[in-house]
Amino acid sequence: MDPLIYVLDLVVFIGIYSIFSLSLNVEFGFAGIANFGKVAFFLVGAYTYAVLSNLGVSFYVCLIASACAAALVGFLVSLPTLKLREDYLAIVVLTTGEILRQIVKVERGIAGGVWGLAVSPAINTVGLPPRIVSLVNIALVYGCLVICFAVAQRLANSPYGRVIRALREDEVAAEALGKNRAKYRAQVLALGSAMTAIAGGLYAQYIQFIDPYMFMPIITFTVWIMVLVGGPGNNWGALLGAGLIEVFDRGANIIKDYVKLPIDPSNLQYIIYGVLILLVLFFRPQGLLKETPLKTRALESVERGRDTAQDNAS
Amino acid sequence: MEETLLKITRVRKHFGGVFAVDGVDLHIKGGGIWGLVGPNGSGKSTLFSIVLGHHHADDGTVHFQNDCIDGLPPHEIYAKGLVNAFQVPRPFQRLTVLDNMLVAARGHGGDRMLTSLFLTRGWQKQEAELADEAMDILRLVELDRLARSPAGELSGGQRKLLEIARGLMASPKLLMLDEPAAGVNPILGRKIFEKIEKLWQQTGLSFLIIEHRLDLLFDFAQWVFVMDKGKIVIEGKPQDIEKDPAFYRVYIGDADVADS
Amino acid sequence: MAVNWAQVLFNSAVTGSLYLLGAVGLTLTYGLSQFPNFAHAEYITLGAFIGYFIAGPLGLGLPAALVIAFLCTGIVGAICYRGIFQPLAKRGASIIHLMVASIAVSFILRYSIGAIWGWNPLYFKSWPSFQIGSLRIVGLWLWLLAAAVVLALALHFALVNTRIGKAIRATSSNPGLALASGIHTESVVTMTWFVGAGLAAVAGIFRGADTQVWPTTGWDIILPIFAVAVLGGIGNFYGSIAAAFIIGLAENLGVVALLALGLSTEYRLAIAFIIIIVTLIFRPRGLAMLFRRA
Repeated sequence: MDPLIYVLDLVVFIGIYSIFSLSLNVEFGFAGIANFGKVAFFLVGAYTYAVLSNLGVSFYVCLIASACAAALVGFLVSLPTLKLREDYLAIVVLTTGEILRQIVKVERGIAGGVWGLAVSPAINTVGLPPRIVSLVNIALVYGCLVICFAVAQRLANSPYGRVIRALREDEVAAEALGKNRAKYRAQVLALGSAMTAIAGGLYAQYIQFIDPYMFMPIITFTVWIMVLVGGPGNNWGALLGAGLIEVFDRGANIIKDYVKLPIDPSNLQYIIYGVLILLVLFFRPQGLLKETPLKTRALESVERGRDTAQDNAS
Repeated sequence: MEETLLKITRVRKHFGGVFAVDGVDLHIKGGGIWGLVGPNGSGKSTLFSIVLGHHHADDGTVHFQNDCIDGLPPHEIYAKGLVNAFQVPRPFQRLTVLDNMLVAARGHGGDRMLTSLFLTRGWQKQEAELADEAMDILRLVELDRLARSPAGELSGGQRKLLEIARGLMASPKLLMLDEPAAGVNPILGRKIFEKIEKLWQQTGLSFLIIEHRLDLLFDFAQWVFVMDKGKIVIEGKPQDIEKDPAFYRVYIGDADVADS
Repeated sequence: MAVNWAQVLFNSAVTGSLYLLGAVGLTLTYGLSQFPNFAHAEYITLGAFIGYFIAGPLGLGLPAALVIAFLCTGIVGAICYRGIFQPLAKRGASIIHLMVASIAVSFILRYSIGAIWGWNPLYFKSWPSFQIGSLRIVGLWLWLLAAAVVLALALHFALVNTRIGKAIRATSSNPGLALASGIHTESVVTMTWFVGAGLAAVAGIFRGADTQVWPTTGWDIILPIFAVAVLGGIGNFYGSIAAAFIIGLAENLGVVALLALGLSTEYRLAIAFIIIIVTLIFRPRGLAMLFRRA
């Protein structure tokens, strides 16, 4: 296989998973929400995109519609547990993922059932050489990534980011200071889901075929590793995690062809993921990159205060 | 005509068969420093938690500035202007002292998602203004040098001060403090009360304070409520209460009442 | 459409028994350790595999399989608690961290099982079935009902009458006081994890024998298992008994309804899901209010 294609393909996947990882970073890293059902929203994004684009809807509209659909699902799913402890939300989103996969498997009419759906690429690349197709997708994916990153960064480094971090640290204290926990939780989940759906839509149009077996819980787990390893609360960390884990994933697949292992590499890979997560939780729960501190104009007052104090002292 | 600030009417609350709060009537008019004292287990903290929406009363009503606040969730009670500082401080550990303060700020446009995302100039300006305000308050409690330190690194006494500072930052109409001088050395304790008095004099902000340090509270409060076994048994000016034998019976009198 | 109500009721009892055995461990450890152990499903799977090999290739029969799987899986459960969750909790891990750890453990277990025994489904030998009137009964189901009744009674007896059972109830309702009273909370919790995983293994054998044995045998029923824990009230043993049979009944009635409506019976999973959602909206504590603690 053309090695350059392989690399370009890897680059596309890193881009897609970066968006995915950013979404979890916003939900968990900043807002402390344990979304164990990420794959559900990835599925919603991919299938909404697929169905709409097969109806002839343009790329942008498909993507936006996917984002809205997932945001709605995210919001609805959060409703029963808005006032409850975070583990209940985890259970609900996890089971939502299972249900959605089941629905898609069963509904042959809309979603192609177990036979899946073919998806046409966003930009008509029929007849173009594979390298160009890859480059086109890189442009698409990374264009979206830049936008998502900008949104995530802006949100993290803003008063809104401060509020969701406070809710993460101590819900009771934050509520006593006027922050409505339910409202923020629902909003963050909606936003995170929308971002996930964008990743899902880009994924669908890139691999040009989706079926229910591509949306197994292992995907949620993989994204969690990316965020935990990269560093929760740090958007660059989310990108770093996505890159590292994707490279590891590809590396594992390559080694499979060249090295004879006693254990089937696909099993071993996921066992290693599990062990890796435990190691991170035991020894470096803050991940590789530390949480980004808030930087706003508020810091100017601190500097001014320091200068005044120094003036007064001298 | 003094305006009613807080009015608690015939509030009762029981846990498992015991009435922690047993028919309390408490009326705070106008501004000032108000005290709530009583032996351990007299129901003071339970009363606070009912007012602040952490517990539901079995009976009775609570009004704040003539608005009924029964059953309101804590964030709506904050919105009415009723703010508290927890007895055991609850700092946002991984946020800086300054960020802790800014979370408490009232009416920050940037608290809304779309504003934060799109109206950057607007909220940045508010950030600068609120930060100035925060730094002033931090200077008052002498925590300004630690503005950029994570709140988790503060000592016990510093956390107490931050807790109070955060409450002040919330621009409350009534600030409820639960044992502000507890667990801090006597000098700092007195300093805290001096600052509270200064704030009342300069800004007209009212305080309702639970305290066990009766010596401190009685030096600064204008009016004190004394609770015992879930009821308010005496209320009045500190100097009058000190002369009332009933007061001492509450703390020392009964053989059943353990300690204070 | 003619419905064999006797069959529906009987099937409900069978389903309920399965879910009870599968969920008791989850709800008890959830209540004690304050987090949902997402690896619980893998105990079910592990039990199915161990049971398969004991009963089948080793030819030792079902009772031996049940006992050995119970013990082996129970040990795995205890190791998970003592080796991973307890140390993490001691280091100040939050509920979310513990949940993530449990997912990590679930993947390690599931893919280890896959690595050792492969992903091709294994099948128990088929069981004899017989008719009583309109009722079709598979011999295996009688074993399942018996196991559920016996083990539930045993657990009830233990909780009420034995020292360790009372210790479990005490620790579950007030850990601090239990510790202060001299109860060795660590041993109590470890024992609970052991028993919980063991019961899940028993459920796994029956599930595996009834359908197939493969690395997702447990995960395939994770939804109803969590539904039992939520509906019954987290940490509440008696609540979970009621919940298991309610959900068993709801699922079997649901299948009847789905068939009548012409929908796929694959949607029976949605029933457990709906029960979870409805419970959380209206009665987050589940049936716990109706039953005394644990």
